[in-house]
Amino acid sequence: MDCGGSRIWLIARKEIIANVRCFKTPVVFVAMTLLLLLSAHALAIDYRNRLNNWSVNRDGQRNPVVNDGVSYDLPDGSFSHGMAFGNPPPIEAPRPFSAIVKGMDGEMDRAVIVRSQIVFWARHDEPATGALFYAPDTSFVVKLLASLFAMMFSLDAMTREKEAGTLRAMLSQPFRRRELILSKSLAASISLLAPFAVAYFIEIIYLRLAHGLLSGREDMVRAFLIFGLGALYGVVFIHIGIFISTITGRTKIAATMALGAWATIVLMLPNVSVLMAKLLTPTPSYSQLSARLREARMRILQEEAEADPAARLPPSRPVSRQNTPRLYEIERQATDDYIASKNNQNRWARLLADLSPAGALTFGASDLAGTGVDAYNSYLELFRSSRDIMLDALKRSLDLPSQEGYKILQEARGTVANRRRLTEPLGACLRSSVISFSSLLAWAAFFGLAACWRFERYDVR
Amino acid sequence: MFRTILSRELQETGVSPTLLSALVALTILVLPSAYIQARYYQRVVEDYAVRQSISQAEDNSRTIVLIRPITPLAPFFNGAYDSLPDEFRVWNDSATTNTPSGDLTPLDWLFPKIDLCFIIGVLLTLLTILLTHGAIAGDRDRGSLKFILAGPVRRRTVLAAKLTAVILPVTVILIYVVLLYTTVVMVFSGGTVDLSGSDLNALGALMVVALTVLVATAALGVAVSASVRRSSVSLFVCASIWIVTILIWPSLGPYMASSFKPVSPPEAAQRDVVSKEKELIHAELAEHRKTAADLKERQVGVEFAWRRYLEIRRKWIERRNEEIGRLVEERRKQVRDQRGAARRISLLSPYAAFREVLGSLCGTGLESYDEFLAAVEQYRQSEFIPKGFDLRSRQKPWLNATDPDDRLQLRPLQAPSPALSGRLAAAAWPLSILIAEMIVLIVSSVVIFERCDVRV
Repeated sequence: MDCGGSRIWLIARKEIIANVRCFKTPVVFVAMTLLLLLSAHALAIDYRNRLNNWSVNRDGQRNPVVNDGVSYDLPDGSFSHGMAFGNPPPIEAPRPFSAIVKGMDGEMDRAVIVRSQIVFWARHDEPATGALFYAPDTSFVVKLLASLFAMMFSLDAMTREKEAGTLRAMLSQPFRRRELILSKSLAASISLLAPFAVAYFIEIIYLRLAHGLLSGREDMVRAFLIFGLGALYGVVFIHIGIFISTITGRTKIAATMALGAWATIVLMLPNVSVLMAKLLTPTPSYSQLSARLREARMRILQEEAEADPAARLPPSRPVSRQNTPRLYEIERQATDDYIASKNNQNRWARLLADLSPAGALTFGASDLAGTGVDAYNSYLELFRSSRDIMLDALKRSLDLPSQEGYKILQEARGTVANRRRLTEPLGACLRSSVISFSSLLAWAAFFGLAACWRFERYDVR
Repeated sequence: MFRTILSRELQETGVSPTLLSALVALTILVLPSAYIQARYYQRVVEDYAVRQSISQAEDNSRTIVLIRPITPLAPFFNGAYDSLPDEFRVWNDSATTNTPSGDLTPLDWLFPKIDLCFIIGVLLTLLTILLTHGAIAGDRDRGSLKFILAGPVRRRTVLAAKLTAVILPVTVILIYVVLLYTTVVMVFSGGTVDLSGSDLNALGALMVVALTVLVATAALGVAVSASVRRSSVSLFVCASIWIVTILIWPSLGPYMASSFKPVSPPEAAQRDVVSKEKELIHAELAEHRKTAADLKERQVGVEFAWRRYLEIRRKWIERRNEEIGRLVEERRKQVRDQRGAARRISLLSPYAAFREVLGSLCGTGLESYDEFLAAVEQYRQSEFIPKGFDLRSRQKPWLNATDPDDRLQLRPLQAPSPALSGRLAAAAWPLSILIAEMIVLIVSSVVIFERCDVRV
C-alpha cells in the first residue's frame, strides 16, 4: 500500500511540476486572485453602502412625524386642513457575509411596513443596474472559474498520454489503472486547489484588513466552509474532466466536450432546475394578494353599508366591532398563504438546484453565508410574527377605552420596531447546506468511479 | 477556391457532434424558458389590469398611483422591467414619489430568468466559440494548414471561407431559436403578447444585432485560433476571454461604478427630502393657522375663507414642488451619472452592449425606464396637479356632502412608445460600439492570420 501510495504521489508530483512549468498553475493563481479581489472589493463597497443606507434609515425612524391640522371656523360653516408626513418605513440591516456571497440579501433591501397587514415596498434600485446581472460575488466567480480551470487541468490527463503514446509505456509498469486515475485526480486537485486556496486566503485577508469584515471566529469558520464547498465543487469538475479524458482519444475532442459539459452543468442545469421549481410551485403575485385583500375589504364594507344605509360616507376600513377582527383574520390568512407559497417555491428551487453542482454551490454557499433560502424565509417569518403582535394588540385595543387602546398599540409598535433578524446560527447553516455538500460529494464520487470504470476497460493496444 | 473551402468546412461543421448536441440542448432550454416567460408575461398583464383597477378606485385629488405598462417585447428581453420599481405614488403637493408595492422575487437574485437575450448573448456566443476555436489551430493540429496555404489561394480567402462556414450555421440556429422562442411565447401567453408591425420589425433588428455579436465572437475565435498552435489551447483562451467579457465583466460594471462614482445612500437622499418636506409643511400650517385666526376674527363667509385657503394651498404646492423638485432632480442626476459610468464600464463587454441595444429595441432598458420617469413627472405637472386642484377647488367640505360627480377624471398616462427608428437612434451608442468591436476583431483575425507562420 505504501508502495502504491508513493507511486501515486510520484506521478502526481510530476504532473504538478508540469502544470507549474507550462504556466497553467501560475495563470490560474493570477486570474483567481485578481478576480476574487475585484469581486471582494466591489461587493464590500456594496455592503458598506447598504449598511450606511440602513443606518440612515434606522436613525430616521426616531425623527418626529408631522401630523397636524388647522380648522377654519367661520360663522356659516367650517372646514379643516390636515397634513401628515411620516418617516420612510424601516429596512433590514444587510449581512456582512453578503460581501462574499450576496445570495438573496439584495432582495431584502426594501422598506416593509408591519401593521395589521404587511406591506412590502419595492426594493431600492441601487447599485445602478445591479439587479440586471448576476451579483459578481465570490460564489459566482468560483462557480465559473473554478469549474473551468478544473477542467483545464484534468481533461487532457489521459488524452495527452494517449496522443504522446506514453500511456502504453506507463501501463506496462506494475501499476494499477485506478492508481493512475487517482494520481491524475490528485495532481489536478492540488494544481487547482493550491492557487485557489491562496487566492481565497488573500481575499479574506483583504476583506479583514481593508474593510474590517469577517473578524470573528465564527465568520472564519463560515469562510472556511465556503472554501470547502468551492473546493469540492472544483473536484467535481476535475473528475468530470478525467472522465471525458477516458472516453475520448484526442485532446481536441475532449476540450470541446468539456466546454459543452461545462456550459450544460454550470449555466443550464441550475437555471432549468429553478424554472422547473417555478413551474411546479406557482405563486400568486403581490398584486393578486392586494386585489384579494381589497376585494375582501370591499365586501365587508358593502355589508356594513347595507346594514346601516344611514351611514353617509363609506369608510376605508370596517367600523363595526364584529367586522374589524373578521377583516384582520382574512388579511392574516391571505398574507400567510402568500408568504408560505414563496417559502415553498424557494425550498423547491433549492432542492432541485442542489441536484446540479453549480446549483448546489450557489445555494450551499448562500446558506453557509446566512444569505440563502433559510435566511430569507426567517426574514419573512420575522414580519409574520411582528404582524401577529400588532394584530393581537389591535384586537385587544378594540375592547378598551381609546386611551388604553392607544397605549397598547404604542407598546406593540415599540416591540415590533425593536425586533431584529438574527444571523442564522452556524449549526443551522451547516444543516441547510448538508444537501449541497452531499450532492457535490455524490457528483465527485460518481464521475471518479465512472472514470475508473471506463479506464479499466480501455484497450491500450 | 472560396467555395471549395467553404463547402468542405460546412460539411465538417454540419456533421460535427458539437452542432447537433447544441441544437438539442438549445431546444431543451428554449422551450421551458419561453414557456415561463409567456406565463410570466400573461400574469404581469393580468396584474396590470388588477393594479389599475385598485389604484383608480383609490385615486383622489391629492395622490394617485401610476403604473408602468408592460411592453409586448418584454418576454424577449426582461431588462430593467423586473428589477426596477414600476409603480409610483405621486402627490399633487410634493415632487417626491414612492413605490408602494413590489413582488417578492428572491430567486431572481440567484438565477435571473432566462430570456431570449441570455440564450443568444451567452449560449449562442459560446456555441460560436466552440465552432471557431479550431478554425485555424485545428488545421495546424492535423498538419493540413500548410497544404491548404500551399495552393494558389490567398490567406484572406481561406479566412473568409472559414468565418463564413461558422457564421452560416450559427445564423440558421439563431433563426431557429428566435422562431421557436417566439412561437412558444405567442402560443402560451394566452393571447396577451400582441406583436404589432413595429414590434416585429424590432425583432428583425434584434436578429441583425445578434448576428453582429455572433460575427464578432466568431472573429475572436478565429483570431485566437490563428495565434496559438493547438486547438485545445485555443479553446481555453477563447473560453477564458468569453467568461470574463460575457459573464463577469457586465456584472462587475455597476459595482465598480458605485465604487468610482459614489452617490449618497437612497435613504440619505430620502432623509433630506423628508426633512425639507416637514419644514415646508410646518411653514404652511403656520400660515394657515394665522389666516384662519384672521378670517375668524373678521367674521368672513366660509366661501371667501375657502377661496383664501385655496390660494394659500396653491402657493405652497408650487413652492414645495419647486424646492423638493430641486432635491429630487439633483438626486436623479447623481444616479444617472452613476448609471452612465456603469454603462461606460460595462459596454466593453459585447454582451452588455447587446443588452443595451435590446433594452432600447424592446423598450425594457434603462433609457426607456428614464423616459417613463420623465413621462410620469410630465403627467403629474400637466394633468394631475391642475385637475386635482380644480377638483379640490370645486369641493365644498363645509357642506359635509359629496357630489356624485366629484371624482378625479384624468386622461390615461401615455407611456412613450417610439418608432423603430427612434429605438435604433436611442441604441446608437452601444450599437456603434458593437460594430466597432466586430470590425476590430475581424481586422485583427486577418492581420494575425496573415502573419501566422505555418511552418511551426
